[in-house]
Amino acid sequence: MTPDLVVTTTIEASPQEVFPYLVQPDLLVRWLGSWVDVDPQPGGVFAADLGQTLVRGSYVAVDPPHRVVFTWGIPGNQELPAGSSTVEIVLRPEGDATLVELTHRDVPVDRHADHRQGWTNLLGVLASILRE
Amino acid sequence: MTAEAADLVLRALADPTRRTMLRLVRSQELPAGQIATHFPITQQAVSQHLQVLHRAGLVGERREGTRRLYLLRPDALGPVRALLDDLWPDALDRLKRIVEEDKRSRS
Repeated sequence: MTPDLVVTTTIEASPQEVFPYLVQPDLLVRWLGSWVDVDPQPGGVFAADLGQTLVRGSYVAVDPPHRVVFTWGIPGNQELPAGSSTVEIVLRPEGDATLVELTHRDVPVDRHADHRQGWTNLLGVLASILRE
Repeated sequence: MTAEAADLVLRALADPTRRTMLRLVRSQELPAGQIATHFPITQQAVSQHLQVLHRAGLVGERREGTRRLYLLRPDALGPVRALLDDLWPDALDRLKRIVEEDKRSRS
């Protein structure tokens, strides 16, 4: 995920109408995965089963109706541990529609606090294995 | 996208010993015995690590007499990349469809 992964789409609905789908478990589960457990407030849990991959993190920012930020990772996976990357979803009104911009980026890790330094960025790891 | 394949690769990469092994066989094919000399663990433990890498498709295994030789197969990283690349475009497509369907059914 280096550089940042950015994905956009335009939805024929207002940001007010789209926003609940980013925070309400019964609406999130319909597009994100087969199961979710979320507590949409800063520090609250964000967990989802994306089919065969369980992801886990926590909400960083919840600003209705325009922006949601949560951390994201795979529990038990050292390359992409729970909370090791960040997903930001921004909703912008565009006439009667909403432009949705999703950015998935890595979280820089404190090198002194974490012995996994250098191994937290999955694609960085892959690149380093192939390059060195 | 095969999430199972991606998961096998991610699990295989989660161990620092196995990552070091991948580096050793990145550009040259090496026998298990020579790989083992780099690690303070038993030959059996080395074999187990190599089998995990092999099952994940990260290394190719070739027999030559009684020796087994290993070489990195970078193609195995594809499913992981695909898992991450496809995830959000697919998810946002579903989000769009569901929000718009719900809106139509309300009006």
